[in-house]
Amino acid sequence: MTHPVLRLSGLVRTFPSGNKNRTVLKGVSCDFEEGHVYSIVGPSGSGKTTLLALAGGLDAPTSGSVSFRGRDVADIGLAAYRKKHVATVFQSLNLLGYLTAVQNITTAMQITGVRGVSRRRRAAKLLDLLGVDETDRRRRPARLSGGQQQRVAIARALACDVDVLFADEPTGSLDQDTAAEIIEVFQRLAHEEGKCVVIVTHSPQVAAASDEVLHLKRGKLTRR
Amino acid sequence: MNLFKRAWWHLRVKIGRTVLMTGLFGVICTLTLSGFLIQSAAARAAEDAKQRVGAVATMELDINALLEAQGRGDEDGGPTGVDIGSGGDLHRDLADKIGASPVVTGYNYLSEAVAVPTTSAEFYRAVPAPVGVNLDSVAEFFPVNGVRDSEQEIGFRNGTLTLLSGTGITPDASGNQALIEERFAETNGLAVGDVFTLSSGTFNSAASEVMVEFTVTGIYRDEKKSDHQRYTPPGSDPGNTIYSSIDGASRLQGKDPADGGGVIRRATFTLANPDDLDRLKADATTAGADLKVFPLAVNDKQYRTLVGPIGETAGFATVTVWLVSIAGLVIVGLIAASSLRERRTELGVLLSLGESKGRILGQHIVEITACALVAIALAVGLSQALSKGVGDALLSGEVASAAAEAAAEAAEPDKSDTSGGLGTPEAPSVEPVDRLDIQLGTADLVKVGAAGLGTALLATIVPGIGVLRLKPREILSKGD
Repeated sequence: MTHPVLRLSGLVRTFPSGNKNRTVLKGVSCDFEEGHVYSIVGPSGSGKTTLLALAGGLDAPTSGSVSFRGRDVADIGLAAYRKKHVATVFQSLNLLGYLTAVQNITTAMQITGVRGVSRRRRAAKLLDLLGVDETDRRRRPARLSGGQQQRVAIARALACDVDVLFADEPTGSLDQDTAAEIIEVFQRLAHEEGKCVVIVTHSPQVAAASDEVLHLKRGKLTRR
Repeated sequence: MNLFKRAWWHLRVKIGRTVLMTGLFGVICTLTLSGFLIQSAAARAAEDAKQRVGAVATMELDINALLEAQGRGDEDGGPTGVDIGSGGDLHRDLADKIGASPVVTGYNYLSEAVAVPTTSAEFYRAVPAPVGVNLDSVAEFFPVNGVRDSEQEIGFRNGTLTLLSGTGITPDASGNQALIEERFAETNGLAVGDVFTLSSGTFNSAASEVMVEFTVTGIYRDEKKSDHQRYTPPGSDPGNTIYSSIDGASRLQGKDPADGGGVIRRATFTLANPDDLDRLKADATTAGADLKVFPLAVNDKQYRTLVGPIGETAGFATVTVWLVSIAGLVIVGLIAASSLRERRTELGVLLSLGESKGRILGQHIVEITACALVAIALAVGLSQALSKGVGDALLSGEVASAAAEAAAEAAEPDKSDTSGGLGTPEAPSVEPVDRLDIQLGTADLVKVGAAGLGTALLATIVPGIGVLRLKPREILSKGD
């Protein structure tokens, strides 16, 4: 029996809100396969980022489980799961302000234990691919435009040799051409390298380029 | 390791914060180390003072204890006109045995007697007694101080008494020897080797009057002048004070020197170290002394005079060390906590990448420790000069204050002086330590290192644990 690379089973996530609890996800279940690009769409506040955080091991569900290749990530350990198997491109990018673009990427590679390649060379190659020029690579995030920061954040996630890549609005700050390039990179990662790419997006362009679109509404996930 | 590289990058890029933290740590470490240095200097000075002046233990009769031992305690507070018998006699032989204790570096004793004139020994009078004065009601007697060694008497030691001819009373003196003042000698035409007689008089109603013959061994001069303007009772005129051997003083008191070597009123023992008092008491008990009746009390006035001001300064330094350490810990802790709050996103990102909490905390510890190490090095360079300057300034204030207090107390009897106000022979006046000998030692470095690094660790770990117990999602976002 083969397992999906990622399985969400009955995920419920509740947050305290005043004296009450607010349930954001109400029993979300879904399988994600390798070699596919998934888009998760839905209105603002529907729980897309929360779902991504649970699937990416950044948070633990109130109930339900996330399994990676048949193993509950709680058993793997959230930190180990994040380190070895998944990477996330955050909506707010979250680059480290005191590091240059290249250092942000090589640091992530060091932490996730990417071996067998020159980290600087790999970082340079990815930044090349995403259109970050030589000068910008040596700059710290505060001196980069929003679009350039987005590219560096994506390069950081791509640099980590992981099985599942999560991206929260990865093309939000990019122009249409660059967004198309990024989508192409995601497709190549999935279709040529067998990765699973899960993208939370409002962009019809990204959704259209995905292999499967999932709709999250009022805490429930449905396939289109 | 990656965390060291990240720490270095952060320290370099955030140079303003790095300098601020290092400067703050530098001030804390410098003040703390200065306090430690003053404390060590004070401790060294105290130890040195102990070795230098030691202490003087005095043994004399506690008459209340004696009466209690005899079952005659006076509930009204003190003996009044009772015969205490020979139980109150402190014997020279006992003092000699105690003086042989290895912790005693020198000892002396005093036997106080009074005598009345005879045909061979008249009073020296600067002004004749006026007609009508009742000579029985005034001090019409010779004060006779039986001593073991006249050279140890405070007057001879501080130069107010000078030997003019002959010799003083020495520890091996036997028989009835006398050291007389030159005014008395001139009045009676006495010279070294001459013999004169004193009468015990009838001061002690229980004993019959005895005549004691003294040989003049020496003549001395007392710098204190006689009053030539008005009548002074002979007992108060410095010209009539006689120093004698213990034998002679004992005989004037009607005591036989063959019985325990004669009686003395008080014995003083100089100790190399004030801490040796317990050993001295043990040796005194072994020698046969009843320490309830003849207690040994330490007069460490010299020691207190020497180290009093520096002790006050060290006390201030101790308070400073504690205040600075606590305030420093709070300030550095607040800065570290604030820094961690500002760097929440960074913590969340590193956690989301899978970095361990220990390594993330380790990076912050490395950063603050680097600042602390530079600050400790700065403190080592600055604190010696600072502690010297501040310490000397504080100390001179304390010395001046102690001098003012001493001057105010001079008119009052010293309660710790067990000599009864006559002055303790072994305790000449001393000047307090008024300079700090600042020396930076390994122990001081270890202490300031522990304080600095301890502050750094505490200031980072406590707030760090608070942040790192959260999940990355909680750190990075406020919920969806």
